[in-house]
Amino acid sequence: MTSNLALVTIHQLVRDTFRQSRAQGVFWLLLGISAVCILLCASVNIEGAQQLATPGENPDFLPRNDPRAGDRETLERDGVVVVGGELTLGFGAVRVPLARDAGNAVHALQLALAAGVADTLGVLLALVWTAGFLPGFLDRQSISVLLAKPAPRWALLLGKYAGVLAFVLLQGAIFVGGTWLALGARTGIWDFAYLKSAPLLLLHFGIFFSVSLLLAVCTRSTVASVFGSIAFWLLCWGMNFGRHALVADVAAGSGAQFGQPLLGIVEFGYWFLPKPADLGMLVRDALGAQNFYGQPAVFEAVQAHGLFHPVMSVAASLAFMVLIFWAAVRQFAATDY
Amino acid sequence: MPRLTPHAFELDHVTKTYRSGWLGRRVLRALDDVSLRVSTGRTFGLVGPNRAGKTTLVKVLLSITHPTSGRVVRLGRPWADRSTLARIGYVHERQAFPGYLTPVQLLELYGRLSGVGRLDVRRRSQELLERVELADRAASPIATFSKGMVQRLALAQALVNEPELLVLDEPTEGLDLSARRLVYEILAERRSKGRSVLLVTHQLSDIERLCDDVAVLRAGRVVFTGSPSMLVDRETSRAAKCQVATAPVAQLVATAGSAGDAASGWPDLELTAPPHAAADGQSAFESAMQHLYEEAPA
Repeated sequence: MTSNLALVTIHQLVRDTFRQSRAQGVFWLLLGISAVCILLCASVNIEGAQQLATPGENPDFLPRNDPRAGDRETLERDGVVVVGGELTLGFGAVRVPLARDAGNAVHALQLALAAGVADTLGVLLALVWTAGFLPGFLDRQSISVLLAKPAPRWALLLGKYAGVLAFVLLQGAIFVGGTWLALGARTGIWDFAYLKSAPLLLLHFGIFFSVSLLLAVCTRSTVASVFGSIAFWLLCWGMNFGRHALVADVAAGSGAQFGQPLLGIVEFGYWFLPKPADLGMLVRDALGAQNFYGQPAVFEAVQAHGLFHPVMSVAASLAFMVLIFWAAVRQFAATDY
Repeated sequence: MPRLTPHAFELDHVTKTYRSGWLGRRVLRALDDVSLRVSTGRTFGLVGPNRAGKTTLVKVLLSITHPTSGRVVRLGRPWADRSTLARIGYVHERQAFPGYLTPVQLLELYGRLSGVGRLDVRRRSQELLERVELADRAASPIATFSKGMVQRLALAQALVNEPELLVLDEPTEGLDLSARRLVYEILAERRSKGRSVLLVTHQLSDIERLCDDVAVLRAGRVVFTGSPSMLVDRETSRAAKCQVATAPVAQLVATAGSAGDAASGWPDLELTAPPHAAADGQSAFESAMQHLYEEAPA
């Protein structure tokens, strides 16, 4: 009976979280942001783009402002293409000259949407807007009757956590799927790699929402959950970036001034804490950003020196999430209401 | 089918302490060695002054709060067995429901979490909303409800799993007359069905009228258990003894006159009413209870 009841509880609380998100307006707010981004993508057009290379071929082209770009005869004889065309936004209201070809322009937009809007701004906004869900749920006057039900306490917490994750997954899928469809329909470029950013976004959010969950269980305060989880995200980002900067310096032979104890502490902090910068790198890698743009120097250095282990990084972040969730469950089970 | 056990619940030397202050140095003993045994099918009243530990006792009984020591048995099963909670309904003293839910959604959520099947929940919800006179507001958000309507919904919520034991913490607090009547009717129905009720209230008239048994808590300790009439008898007798003990001997002798029991040397006193009784409109039960409240803690 317990496992069946636990499943029913999780299902009911997932539904309840969706109702809560609609009633509090968070659902419509995030949907509104997605709608604006989808509309922006639907307003994109590419005019006069040149094909710079066939698939698998290295692009051989001249920028449009190169002094030799005017010598059409030589260029045609040597098979060199000059970049041309424009990307238009807002149904032609804004015109941006293409730096390369159409595929490159669409990738640039997708990268900005996935890494910038969704993975950074979206995750932080989702953390802020969903942080109130749990303290409200755990309020003494409303949780008491739920605790007097036979459903196990861990199922109540897992149900609410799963509800928020399902909500963010739906919003992420609408955002990524909608912008992908709009861009594809308008430009004819269907880049399936972009769709990988939705699960990565959920992973990123889920890891930091577990911290929000623990704070909510310990304090029952929305303010503590919001500021605590954001502060923790910044701390983790700093530790993540700092570690990469440090090991890249050491690997390059210029980090001799850093003692072994400091390196040990930073390595421990990096591996113990979640790694938001690494998750950002994974999103960029998934989108093949390295084929088009340079990375921040620190990230390039750790990748070049083999000091970035994507699978281990994600596994360690997931292990942290499980640990924090377990701590939240323990605390919830032991708390008197 | 309900599996009837001789006792709805039992508390055996239950203590609950809370720690507060710097490093938890201040200890508050909310329940102090409480032992109670409530028979199945009885309506049991729990009374006491504010901060006597009534709500803590309810929360310990329902696994909302953990006992510090002692043994709790619900419907014949130990405290750790949460499955018994599926056979219990509970109305919280200051109930707050998510304002975005409608009564139908709330009853479905709480009913399903009590282990009731989907179809049964739907059927029960309709019946209960009719019963608590909220059928016409079944699709309105709870945020638009008055306090009385929320209390009635709380009652429906507690009954959605057709409980063997109904625990009501201040169910009539802030209710108008018709809503109170509804609570009384529901309690009468429970009693006629042989179901157990634990009623926590400050309304002494409710206890006197509705309860078969009563326990009085004061400062976390049980100072009386028994029927309301037993309490009146006990307090009457105690008050009279107190009157005798404090009266000057000469006055007692004079009062007794020659009708006293010459053999024992004690005067025959007719114990009619305690000195604290018959205050404005108070029943003997209320008067006895007030006396019990006002006594210095043991």
